[in-house]
Amino acid sequence: MTNVLKFLNQVTKLKETPRQGWVLRGIKNPESIADHSFRVALMAWVLGKQKNNLNLEKIIKMALAHDLCEVYAGDITPYDTILPKDPKKRKEMLKTWPKFTESQKKKISEKKYIKEKQGLEKLIKDLPANLSKEIKALWQDYEKRLSPESRFLRQIDRAENLLQSLEYWQKNKNLPQKAWWVQANQLFDDKTIIDFVEHMDKEFYKTHKPKH
Amino acid sequence: MDTKNFFLTKSKLKELKKEYEELIVLEKQKSSEGEAPKIFESEDLNPDFVNFQDDLNFLRSRIDDLKNVFENHILIKNPPKDKKNVIDLGAKVKIDIDGQKDEFMIVGTLEANPMLGKISNESPVGAALIGHKVGDEIIVPSPVKTIYKIKSIKYEIS
Repeated sequence: MTNVLKFLNQVTKLKETPRQGWVLRGIKNPESIADHSFRVALMAWVLGKQKNNLNLEKIIKMALAHDLCEVYAGDITPYDTILPKDPKKRKEMLKTWPKFTESQKKKISEKKYIKEKQGLEKLIKDLPANLSKEIKALWQDYEKRLSPESRFLRQIDRAENLLQSLEYWQKNKNLPQKAWWVQANQLFDDKTIIDFVEHMDKEFYKTHKPKH
Repeated sequence: MDTKNFFLTKSKLKELKKEYEELIVLEKQKSSEGEAPKIFESEDLNPDFVNFQDDLNFLRSRIDDLKNVFENHILIKNPPKDKKNVIDLGAKVKIDIDGQKDEFMIVGTLEANPMLGKISNESPVGAALIGHKVGDEIIVPSPVKTIYKIKSIKYEIS
């Protein structure tokens, strides 16, 4: 039990670490990594229930495990290596998703995978073997998009992020929205999620449409 | 389990078949002896296998998923010459999105990985691009208007 306690203690860091994407965009008191994981798990459950081909226990566990690596790897964003120091240029860059060449995309993705894998291994190494192997198998499944559950959950993860951006936009209409929608239109291909996202659009932009 | 058709490139199908064959060996080994063959102790080829070793249920579920994919797959092929100027599955497309350059490949849902520029044919952007040619401008329905200009199309399906 000592090692389980140690693990849970370490995971507290996710409750204390703000999500980097919001920090970069100047959101005050942004959500933590744990806040995000909580709603990803909830969304996976309630939206996953509308589909008849998903193992909900597996998907909820996977949701809880998907960002555990960030205890040690931190919250890596695509902007990390390219964001200019000049505040004006910085703000401009954050309006869109950074664009990379095919080989850059591959390199960034591999580097992130290795760092996060090492982070996860460090976190779970002292857990009972069956538990650490279960967590790692779920995380690998998620990262490699191996099962219908992980492919659905990866889209839920982005849908939660989009929902959070809409909630922040409601409080601050200067928060650029375009980047989220460009990403959403390229990323979502699950009909349940596309339907949910259309509902978000209708509800949040009932009276005001975002300008940028 | 998904019963829909899966569009796959030949290289992805080959990759999945290799994984399937190795998982079958591993599953037999696990079921009979409880020991994984030495080859799977290495992470050189595919790091996922190591993690499958101690979870037979997970292993079998992956084998079933793969069987389902093989039974319901449609191979993405290079189009005939007169259709190479039109976007379809397998096309590599250079795009200008509101002045920013980007490059996508249109793939089926199993191969989709937007982080690597692989866009699903069932996503709003993938679906909107299919059937278009160089020079076309497409507006993908969105709360913030975004124009996709098609700069080039090529097919290099392996």
